[in-house]
Amino acid sequence: MIEPASLGNFFTIFFTSAMVIMLGALYALLFAFSRLKGDVRLMPLAYISYAGLLISTLFLADAANLLKHPFWTVIVAFMLVGYLLAPHAIWHLCVGTHADEHAEVGPVPLKDF
Amino acid sequence: MATLGMLDSANLNGGQKLAVKYFTVAIMLFGAQVLFGLLSGLQYLYPDFLYGVLDFSVNRMVHINALVVWLLYGFLGSVYWLLEEESQHEVVGLKLGNLIYWVLTAAVTVVVLVYLFVQIGPGKESSIWLINEGREYIEAPRWADIGIVVSVLVVFYNVAATFSKGRYTGIAGVLVLDMLALFGIYLAGMFYTTNISIDQYWWWWVIHLWVEATWEVMVACIMAYGLMKVLGVSRKIVETWLYIEVALMFGSGILGLGHHYFWIGTPEYWFSIGGFFSALEPIPLVAMVVHAVFDAGARHAKNSNHPAMAWLIAHAFGNFFGAGVWGFMHTLPQINLYTHGTQWSASHGHLAFFGAYATIIIAMFYLGIQRWRGGTWMSGDLPSNGWKWKWALGLLNLGMVGMTVAMLVSGYVQSQIERAIEGSSWMGYFAAQIHPWFVQGMWWREVFGVMFLVGFILLVWDLLTIGKGESRAMVSAEAG
Amino acid sequence: MATSQWWASESFWRKTAIWVTGGSFVALMFLTMDTIPQISTGSKRVPAYSVINYRISYKFDETRHVQVPVIGAKEPLFGKELNEEEAEALVKLGKLTTQSKNCMNCHTLLGNGAYYAPDLTKSWLDQYWGTKEVREVQMLEFIKDPSDKVHNSMGRRMPKLEITDEEARGVVAFLKWMSSIDTNGFPYNFKSIEQEN
Repeated sequence: MIEPASLGNFFTIFFTSAMVIMLGALYALLFAFSRLKGDVRLMPLAYISYAGLLISTLFLADAANLLKHPFWTVIVAFMLVGYLLAPHAIWHLCVGTHADEHAEVGPVPLKDF
Repeated sequence: MATLGMLDSANLNGGQKLAVKYFTVAIMLFGAQVLFGLLSGLQYLYPDFLYGVLDFSVNRMVHINALVVWLLYGFLGSVYWLLEEESQHEVVGLKLGNLIYWVLTAAVTVVVLVYLFVQIGPGKESSIWLINEGREYIEAPRWADIGIVVSVLVVFYNVAATFSKGRYTGIAGVLVLDMLALFGIYLAGMFYTTNISIDQYWWWWVIHLWVEATWEVMVACIMAYGLMKVLGVSRKIVETWLYIEVALMFGSGILGLGHHYFWIGTPEYWFSIGGFFSALEPIPLVAMVVHAVFDAGARHAKNSNHPAMAWLIAHAFGNFFGAGVWGFMHTLPQINLYTHGTQWSASHGHLAFFGAYATIIIAMFYLGIQRWRGGTWMSGDLPSNGWKWKWALGLLNLGMVGMTVAMLVSGYVQSQIERAIEGSSWMGYFAAQIHPWFVQGMWWREVFGVMFLVGFILLVWDLLTIGKGESRAMVSAEAG
Repeated sequence: MATSQWWASESFWRKTAIWVTGGSFVALMFLTMDTIPQISTGSKRVPAYSVINYRISYKFDETRHVQVPVIGAKEPLFGKELNEEEAEALVKLGKLTTQSKNCMNCHTLLGNGAYYAPDLTKSWLDQYWGTKEVREVQMLEFIKDPSDKVHNSMGRRMPKLEITDEEARGVVAFLKWMSSIDTNGFPYNFKSIEQEN
């Protein structure tokens, strides 16, 4: 079911899993800022963060022996897709839920929708 | 008429008068937590210190029990704080609520005194009923368990009945159901069994379903109320987002319980469940990040309480790093096998409890004191530049981050030497404990612990003095 | 005027929150109903208390990549074979003693507890006890009065907790029984006391 990590991979695991979460948040943050300000130049930075997340996840998956088992490989794939789409979905939701308010407040950055 | 700048209970509504009592005890228990944490930290460095008088087990028990109880007092206080405004109705059983407050506080006092002066009992069920249940976090003896259940049922009745008679809002609905779940789950920890696997199975129901599910939703309710009050966000949006967060938190958190079922005898399929839902648990955090940015861009609200706002920001960061980053670093079973039950767990626990819960309750303290002083000015331009709250904020946060990193270093050594190389034997345990890195980690933890204590003292001083003699009234942010 | 989308409406998310919470809880109930029998005393993963009549070892399993408990030849605890009720009574006394003496606020059991003292999950099998011939006596003596045993260079000592001889026997029985629980390989790479004849 699992194959315990080997000692030599400890640091890789701790480091990359921290990076997964931090880059995931940075991606979400840059993505949201880019949409909010309507600043397209920020968007590449957001996707660079995601690319970092992707690389970290793959290193983590290798170090934690995740790719040797189908179940854990699916989890890795699921995480990669999930973290890619989550900020999009949540932004969509923000715009949707604030729709009434924005009508009153005035112009809002809806250019992407 | 509000008396500005004076501590006057005429400034508070009925529920809020009770709330500040809960807050007062919460702060005292917070102090006890810091004190007994420092004592147990010192025993790592000087094992003979208080040996045989207040042993590590006693100090550590008081340390973690004070934590649980002060956070619960903070939650109960927060609920009473918002109850009348949210329901637009007086608390239906305020006298009863006051009585229960005193009963609960008396019970807590007796429990702590028994912890400190009786400490242990013979290996009989009577010890579990009267002295100490000996199960981490829920050590309170069975008589106190029953007292706690009865007390919180009264609080629950008070809250549910007040909302029913007044206005039953979306926040009210979530809050009432969450309180019911929170208190119901406590029952899972109230029985004895010799089978330690079954014991720990239910024990985790209480611990996990509290801190990673029902407490999170409790905080979400308080935040929802706070966002309407402090930033003037509309109710419809706040409540929609409360439901979204509930769906995400409970959706990932309830079955996230699986990551505690790796090593207690439970079947291997918990690896899959724990792994999957642990991967999901950061999603609510991502949602908060995006929504916070969106919200910040959508309004330029005047913030009427700078200390509270600063602590809410500390909450966002603390929750993200403590629960998110520190949690995910060692959640996969492939690595958790080596970190489970080392200083890693302590490092994660400190930052997560502080970041996710202590911070928001401190923010509530500031909202409370502001109203208690008649709604005084607490924005910029405070006397002496508001140095006390700023230094308290800085020292408490820096102290906590320092402790967390110090324990992380110790835990890292432990996972390598004790767990991976020496194979978790007793000799392996001691080999790690005397490693210079481990020892230095424990020293730095104590140093940063003292910094935290200084921050705590400043916090109390500030809460006692902020807004005193202030003649300016707060700026209101509430939407029309 | 923007129109509200159904997926962004309050009522949709209220229902979703209720269904997700309810669904998760129902799933947890089913999992609990499946797990509890698998960890009940006398199951494959958590053996009956009378397992203390047998030798328990902890061996590497090639397919699971970790060590698992193996129940071996008859080796009654304290040289006296107990029936199921007697074994349960003894282990129960031990478990009650570990709770009333607050062991968990220094030690970890199955990895849960405090980190001031070693993990007790496989302490029955620890090399600290020397040989298997002297192990039981060593454990009894240690549990009853560990205060003069500075067994490490840090100077940390376990306090004397007024544990009676009978309670100490119970604790040893509890620890032996606990070492037979299949913990999915926790602790890993454990180096066990020599038990072969």
